[in-house]
Amino acid sequence: MREISRRQAILGLGAFASLALTACGSDSETPAKATDAANKAGSMAGYGVGQQFKATEPLSFDVLYNNHSFYPNKADWLFWQELTKRTNVTLKPVEVPLSDYEKKRSLLIASGDAPLIIPKTYHPQEEAFVASGAILPVSDYFNLMPNFQDKVAKWQLQPELNSIMQSDGKIYLLPGLHEAAWADYSFAVRTDILEKLKIEVPKTLDDFYNMLKAMKAEYPDLYPMTDRWGVPTPGGNLIKLIAQAYGTKGGWEYQHATWDAAQGKFAYTGAMPQYKQALEYLNKLVKEKLLDPESFTQQDEAAKQKFISGKSFVISTNAQTLINDYRGPLTENNKDAKIVKIPVPIGPAGEVKVASRLENGIMISKKATENKNFVAMMQFIDWLWYSDAGLEFAKWGVEGTTYTKEGDKYKLADDVDYVGLNPGAPKHLQKDFGFGNGVFAYGGPTKLLQSTFSDEEMEFQNVMNARKQWPVEPAAPLSEEERDQVSLWETPLKDHVTQNTLKFILGERDLGEWDAYVKELESKNSTQYVNLVNGAHERFKKAHGG
Amino acid sequence: MVTTHDMTRGYRVFQWFNGVILTLVVVVTLYPFVNILARSFSSQAAISAGEVNLIPKGFNLTTYKIVASDPMFWTNYRNTVVYTVVATVIAMVMTTCYAYVLSKKHLKGRKFLVGVAVFTMFFSGGLIPNYVLISGLGLKNSIWAIVLPNAISVFNLLVMKAFFESLPQDLEEAAAIDGLNTYGILWKIVLPLSKAVIATMILFYAVSFWNSWFAAFLYMNESDLFPVTVYLRNLIAGATGADSFGAAAAEVTQAGANIQAVTIVLTVLPILVIYPFVQRYFVSGVMLGAVKG
Repeated sequence: MREISRRQAILGLGAFASLALTACGSDSETPAKATDAANKAGSMAGYGVGQQFKATEPLSFDVLYNNHSFYPNKADWLFWQELTKRTNVTLKPVEVPLSDYEKKRSLLIASGDAPLIIPKTYHPQEEAFVASGAILPVSDYFNLMPNFQDKVAKWQLQPELNSIMQSDGKIYLLPGLHEAAWADYSFAVRTDILEKLKIEVPKTLDDFYNMLKAMKAEYPDLYPMTDRWGVPTPGGNLIKLIAQAYGTKGGWEYQHATWDAAQGKFAYTGAMPQYKQALEYLNKLVKEKLLDPESFTQQDEAAKQKFISGKSFVISTNAQTLINDYRGPLTENNKDAKIVKIPVPIGPAGEVKVASRLENGIMISKKATENKNFVAMMQFIDWLWYSDAGLEFAKWGVEGTTYTKEGDKYKLADDVDYVGLNPGAPKHLQKDFGFGNGVFAYGGPTKLLQSTFSDEEMEFQNVMNARKQWPVEPAAPLSEEERDQVSLWETPLKDHVTQNTLKFILGERDLGEWDAYVKELESKNSTQYVNLVNGAHERFKKAHGG
Repeated sequence: MVTTHDMTRGYRVFQWFNGVILTLVVVVTLYPFVNILARSFSSQAAISAGEVNLIPKGFNLTTYKIVASDPMFWTNYRNTVVYTVVATVIAMVMTTCYAYVLSKKHLKGRKFLVGVAVFTMFFSGGLIPNYVLISGLGLKNSIWAIVLPNAISVFNLLVMKAFFESLPQDLEEAAAIDGLNTYGILWKIVLPLSKAVIATMILFYAVSFWNSWFAAFLYMNESDLFPVTVYLRNLIAGATGADSFGAAAAEVTQAGANIQAVTIVLTVLPILVIYPFVQRYFVSGVMLGAVKG
């Protein structure tokens, strides 16, 4: 006890100190000219799209490295060796356990000790560091990154980029880029039960409801659906997908202001009529005992156990958990059990695919501009994370050693396994070679993304990709003072929305009280919040014509 | 001891309740250990289906072999042993010296010295200044970053000080008359009389260093310098990481529940084995420090 409380005290003080540090020191320095001869050492003069980057002299850069417990870093990985061979650049990883990556990243940046390259940053995490001036406004240096610019133009990603822009009109995060939005999360359903009940795989929310109802009729003693991913965000995936079907945001995706295309402005998400409809739907499931009320509070382990032991038939999933968590153990317990990841059920919002084309990305330490190899470093990042050759290398490795390629088809070497493509092979692409590493390999062309998908997953993807992409929300970057202001409003609002979302779903509060609930939100400044965001949006439109 | 004839009815009822409640406490505290132990010998499928409680299901030793075959686990395990031993030795020397000095009532500025120590219990420089300090001293990525900043625990210091104060003053005076200097008195008279408190302090320090991970996480940049606690923490987070990253973490691959269980068992085992042997000192040690004679 004593130890814990002391540590907490230290952490608390640390958080306070980091606040203090970020609060002072926001003097806007003019960025060093990218074309200065002083920071061009080792760079390539005519570096462009489709070209192999190779530094003109051996260089090395520190990189913050998110060390995954499934494939912990090894210094002798082929990835590191081959990278140096191809680019003349040695990356020196500062290893941080994935369990506490964000904590250490904040500490290193606040103490001025951060490596130059800081990957695995999820927007809007970079915003915490913008005010302190510790990280580089990378958008000033896009001209050094031909592949990045090429992909943004070719895949028309400017609206997405605008959405992560700060109020100064600059971008502080180099996001991963997807050619097409990629939907992965949905629900796993026991198809052997469907066959027995003679019902089709559900397409719409109504079908989904009818399916659960039919299951309940056959198995009245159990909840047909009990869900995981309820901690720490209640209904992380479930509320998210249902809210999407009604055209709003919830669960993991909850954001305070959501673009209402019909009104042409932002609305407060938790007070939107669409949000209410989503809650009504979920409330109906709970009321008719189709959905286990524990879904929103239980640990994943408990939900998994119920599904695997046949006490429930529907659960949230993605492509990996379908195979790793459910199918193996389930069929071991019950030979006849069959499961499939169903296409996300469609609601009033129509046949849409809601997913971002931006991935997590890279922050660059401001110190980098003082480095004489700055230009070479930006070219290197451009090659490894954004060129076709770099993306392919990071994901698949070295042709002839880890994989072979015929036309567009990638094939793993016979003795190498990766995401279960070559089960039983003695070596592993991630563990033994360092490729397919979440720090370096993400985003890129759809062909590359899908190159590791199973036929089953491709079927899901084809259904999802035939749907219309949900439009990107217009940009509304807040100024520093505005962000301070909304951060004061956000916590009470979020708490109130989360609490009442659960109460409405579980029937502890009657949905007839919706208007009272909206009034409560207004008393917690939801209207001011939305006005602020709409103001920021108007300002952005004036400045950038977006 | 209470003999049979003076056991009143009320006392017997009390004894009975006492026994029941303590047994319940034992069950509650023991259950997680037994459960983890059972999981470590069970198959992944049985764990996933929630069938493992107290008895392993799908008994196998494969998981132990898998964990034992990871060289990083053993590197980190060795680090934990080295860090714990070195840190405990340093902490014992520093704490004993400081506590002994503070126990002398005639020491000038004693109050100030106690105050300095107690001050750090309530105020600290904070995470970032601490980090900047350690990094400025060039201790990063070395064992010193772990063993030096935590060398004196004020709580332990005060317990030891109280214990030393409880030793009879006359004993030391007699030793002084017989010609021993200060260090001689400490080494030949005081310490041999303080075995109980020393054993207790060693246990306190060793357990806290064995379990600690935060300092290593802060100051180490290479995974072969981490203690096994960081390894374990990362392993467990790897299994639950998908949740906190939400929609974006598609590449997350999970470590099996049985692998986690095995790692936990191997990590807590030494402490579990040592504890019963040191525990008899433990009770008397703390009590001696607490009540001054």
